Amino acid sequence: MSRAADSGGTPLTAPVSSAGPGGPGGLPPPRWRSTGAALGRTLYRWFPPARLARICVALAGIDAAAAVALWLGERGFYSLPFAATILPQLFSGFEVSAEAIALVIPLGFGVGFLIGWGRTSRSVLLRGFGAMYVDFFRSMPPIVLIFFASLIGLLGLNYLTSDPYLAHTVGLWFGAVALGLHTAAYQAEIVRAGILSVPAGQTEATDSIGLSRTQSMFLVVLPQAFRVSLPALGNEFSSVIKDTSLLSLIGWLEITGSGYNELFPSLHYGLQGPLILWIEVAIFYFILTFLLTSAVRSLENVSRVPGLEAAQS
Amino acid sequence: MTVLRVRALNKSFGDLHVLHDVDLDVEKGEVLCIIGPSGSGKSTLLRCTNLLIPPDSGEVFLDGVRVNDPAVRPEWVRQQIGTVFQSFNLFTHLTAVRNVMLGLVHVKKMDRKSARVKAVLELERVGLKDKLDAYPAQLSGGQQQRVAIARALAMDPKVMLFDEPTSALDPEFIHEVLDAMGQLARDGMTMVVVSHEMGFAREAAHAIAFMDHGRILEQGTPEEIFDRPGHERTKAFVGKILR
Repeated sequence: MSRAADSGGTPLTAPVSSAGPGGPGGLPPPRWRSTGAALGRTLYRWFPPARLARICVALAGIDAAAAVALWLGERGFYSLPFAATILPQLFSGFEVSAEAIALVIPLGFGVGFLIGWGRTSRSVLLRGFGAMYVDFFRSMPPIVLIFFASLIGLLGLNYLTSDPYLAHTVGLWFGAVALGLHTAAYQAEIVRAGILSVPAGQTEATDSIGLSRTQSMFLVVLPQAFRVSLPALGNEFSSVIKDTSLLSLIGWLEITGSGYNELFPSLHYGLQGPLILWIEVAIFYFILTFLLTSAVRSLENVSRVPGLEAAQS
Repeated sequence: MTVLRVRALNKSFGDLHVLHDVDLDVEKGEVLCIIGPSGSGKSTLLRCTNLLIPPDSGEVFLDGVRVNDPAVRPEWVRQQIGTVFQSFNLFTHLTAVRNVMLGLVHVKKMDRKSARVKAVLELERVGLKDKLDAYPAQLSGGQQQRVAIARALAMDPKVMLFDEPTSALDPEFIHEVLDAMGQLARDGMTMVVVSHEMGFAREAAHAIAFMDHGRILEQGTPEEIFDRPGHERTKAFVGKILR
């Protein structure tokens, strides 16, 4: 369109190409005879055909999306008021999930680190215990462990206290501890693989300058093992975040639990109610996971060694 | 004065008898080259000397102190014996200067500031003043091996052991490592070098030991071993590598 305006208002002697003033071959700058032509040229400059096409496609896309959204809205697809009413509940669930994660991940990493380290030790006792631990916890479904641990908490506390509230609270936390011990088994294997990935030459070198075994472990082996373990650890962390949803089954009001609490009221809006409910729950999990994996990614960046990685991202 | 004295050293791996009653004396300031076919026990001898591998029997004395003794901490022994490995074994997550500092700070318990000063000095000595903050992966093989030499030197060892220090290097980088070692020898460092670099052996070594099948068959000056070898197997081996 702008192109038509351009050539339409231009005498035949003026260059038609978009080469601009002077044009190719040192031609004198064209003289624009009318404001219409000048306007056309400016428009052409600002909106060359390729950009114009992209703008049109984008506008059409937005239009189509709006139409679909409207169409869905007419059928009561978004129960927006409902979505807003449950937000506070889900947000408190988000906080409770964060509490659970604040216990499960440090516990899992701490225990996993010790077990993984123990499995590379020279002591038969430590190696054997580590192997048993990993074998046991990896062969249990986390939900079974959670039920089992919360029951132990409840039963044990019944002997010690007559306060049912306290017993219940302890039962809840025992469930979270069980989840932490479960992920510890997986993290132990990640840590062990990281330690084994450090070449024997590195410990020969620490030995040769007289470092003790513990110093060698903490100053040389673990920093290198940790660096290669980070992607796998991030994987396990993000996986265990989602496993905390299982805690809702023993009474935790974390994201899933508080979502489940709103399920009955949501049915008031037909099937759209639960749909928007679980969409919100999913968004909260996405946020939690995104925060944690971003933290792990920045750790990866910090521990990057120049020249060592073939592929930099 | 004998810095390193080895008496009747034996080591077996399973059925494989790697070292047979090896005796060795290294005087202060002496450079001893150990040559011999591969599998003859040269590396094992070095590793038994600094107790990276515990010997089965025999005695190792460092400055007259028996060191392969249960009462002696192996860490204490190793910090007095510098070791340079075939494959450099630099700490990949640390810069050159921090590779050298590690032992100073954590074994010698120097404070970080003076440890850094000493580390920079040692790296200057091997000609790497401009590579202080480079990571090992950013250095050439020759530069890495020179950092490794500086790392061992920084601990002020009584003797330096070199386990085929140039075997893993591209030919273009061999001379820079040999130059650093030659300089070290001229500075009066006591050195035991397992190497087949004949140029270095002739120029810098005071003595050559020929090892075969876990035994030191012959020991003498470079001229004696290279030009008038006494033992049949020495003759055969020297003939092969000098050709």
